[in-house]
Amino acid sequence: MEGSYGAPPPPESVQKKFALPVDSEHKATEFRLFSVAAPHMRAFHLSWVSFFACFVSTFAAPPLLPIIRDDLDLTATDIGNAGIAAVSGAVFARVAMGTACDLFGPRLASAALTLITAPAVYCTAIANSPASFLLVRFFTGFSIATFVSTQFWMSSLFSSKVVGTANGVAGGWGNLGGGATQLIMPLVFDLIHNIGSTKFTAWRIAFFIPALFQTLSAYAIFFLGQDLPDGNYSQLHKSGDKHKDNFSQVFYHAITNYRGWILALTYGYCFGVELTIDNIIAQYFYDRFNVNLHTAGIIAASFGLANLFSRPGGGILSDIMAKRYGMRGRLWALWTVQTLGGIFCILLGKVGSLGVSIAVMIIFSVFVQAACGLTFGIVPFVSRRSLGIVSGMTGGGGNVGAVLTQVIFFRGSRFSTETGITLMGVMIICCSLVIMSIYFPQWGGMFCGPSSKVTTEEDYYMSEWNSAEKERGIHMASMKFSENSRSERGRRVESAPTPINGTPSTYV
Amino acid sequence: MAVVEGFLVATLLLSCLASTSYGVTFSSLQKTLVVSASNQQGKVLKGGEGNITITWSYNNSFPAGTDSAYKTVKVKLCYAPISQQDRAWRKTVDNLEKDKTCQHNIVSRPYSPSNNKFTWSVERDVPTATYFIRAYAYNSADEEVAFGQNTDAHKTTNLFQVEAISGRHASLDIASICFSAFSIVSLFGFFFLEKRKAKSAEKK
Repeated sequence: MEGSYGAPPPPESVQKKFALPVDSEHKATEFRLFSVAAPHMRAFHLSWVSFFACFVSTFAAPPLLPIIRDDLDLTATDIGNAGIAAVSGAVFARVAMGTACDLFGPRLASAALTLITAPAVYCTAIANSPASFLLVRFFTGFSIATFVSTQFWMSSLFSSKVVGTANGVAGGWGNLGGGATQLIMPLVFDLIHNIGSTKFTAWRIAFFIPALFQTLSAYAIFFLGQDLPDGNYSQLHKSGDKHKDNFSQVFYHAITNYRGWILALTYGYCFGVELTIDNIIAQYFYDRFNVNLHTAGIIAASFGLANLFSRPGGGILSDIMAKRYGMRGRLWALWTVQTLGGIFCILLGKVGSLGVSIAVMIIFSVFVQAACGLTFGIVPFVSRRSLGIVSGMTGGGGNVGAVLTQVIFFRGSRFSTETGITLMGVMIICCSLVIMSIYFPQWGGMFCGPSSKVTTEEDYYMSEWNSAEKERGIHMASMKFSENSRSERGRRVESAPTPINGTPSTYV
Repeated sequence: MAVVEGFLVATLLLSCLASTSYGVTFSSLQKTLVVSASNQQGKVLKGGEGNITITWSYNNSFPAGTDSAYKTVKVKLCYAPISQQDRAWRKTVDNLEKDKTCQHNIVSRPYSPSNNKFTWSVERDVPTATYFIRAYAYNSADEEVAFGQNTDAHKTTNLFQVEAISGRHASLDIASICFSAFSIVSLFGFFFLEKRKAKSAEKK
């Protein structure tokens, strides 16, 4: 495979031995969960742990709101606004993060963001008014843009056969933080309160725990991580092995690809819904069913904790469907699972007893989180050149969904929380319908097969490069990717026409 | 699958049973207790420092024997309407089991028709808000049977304010600032190190 496109064979210094089997791009073709071998599995563990830490910080306030709202004299509107602020920062941060990954590499981008948002978490301990509370939640919320670097990193290190699984597990275990924090924060608060602090001091001290965790994980990424199988961006840029891409070209190809926009919208109604629930569910159970703080935290936690297996399950399902049905299978699975999530959401708002409510919530969480995993089984194939920005747009769309949903249904006192939940379910079902419009000419869409005029993966991915760039040979990574993505045809791979294995100048 | 269904049905039945209990309603109670508090107009009580003296007694203008069922009296700190606005967690509801108006207990005493006095020092976990005092009389089954409050029926007179402690301490402030500064400095350190590594890769 090496050198078949006219490029000189890689020098001996780059011929490394990897702990996992790799393809022509040196991406791992297997996903071994219990290994920490550099660079693939180590990067996996570093990225999900730091993303987990960011989620813990961003949603550290909701389980302690019954205390914080008394200390800072917050109204329901203040709380709603802070919840919206917490997820709105990341809308643009995620797109910016996508750009940063494309240009500087996921390792530096995620370590930098994690470290720069840590002060917001430290300063939550000194908030003293609704305004300052809103500000700290706003800036802390930027940290969950590390989602994009997680997905980008996994997409850079794992081949298309396992990318859905890698993305799903990394994303899911990171999102777990939103659930774990609902358990961790009340526990830490109780501990500090029992040692002797008053309630209004104990919650402040409790915030140092997520802040320190975040700082430490940033250090770990910087010192132990590696961007690509062959090295870090900065080294590869200088040694000439990796070309430093042109931002405006990368940006243009991302925003002109309609599939990125559609996935951004639908992600708003699986992940955005997940973020919304993380913000409101503890208070919902505390206020509606009169359970105590601890119990409300445990119930809320079980929503986020389902991420342990549900989002990875979505990713795995995506890869399984792709094996048999290719990209069309991935699309059908996404639409089905997300719509079912909407149905259970409608139900959640309707049930009035505690036990059934918890059961429905758990089922709902499995479907909604699996839909997130399924979405990122598709994202790596939308664009190769602009993977970072497309990931960022989709991720950002998730946050836009969270902002919109909270503004429309969960702010102030217009709807009761249970009515808001039901209406949110209706919105999920409606917005998921657009998945039907995604179409890849080389693979097809939900209702149509691949294009009748022979279109190959190379045609699709090479259209992102112009002839001048191809002459300079900087499109090679996309070429290799096109070859490797042929598996998205599903079982038809054996009978597919072999593309012209030739020089790039054939494609204009 | 059948096991899951069975579990769901069982939970449903149990929860139906659990939610059939009724509470006493506030509108069914008579205002037979006279409650007064020593707060001065315009003076704000500070959490952890201020105190307030409460006296309560039975109103003798009610027919004799009305208080025969009273066993204990619980005096509570209650939120005035202005502190309940846009805060559904402090809502006034007629069913006393669901009512959240009075969330802080001041004192609990066996019932006696007169000579009841208590000086309460404002605890440190009382939030900043406007309050009034209400006393409930309970019977031997621990159900509310009567009440009294130091304000009128619309809860507009004799209200007093509490200013809570902030919970902040100088040591916390300093720790927050120091750790934040440390994070930013580390970030610059990372960029510097990265540039150096890249330069040495170039030289190779």
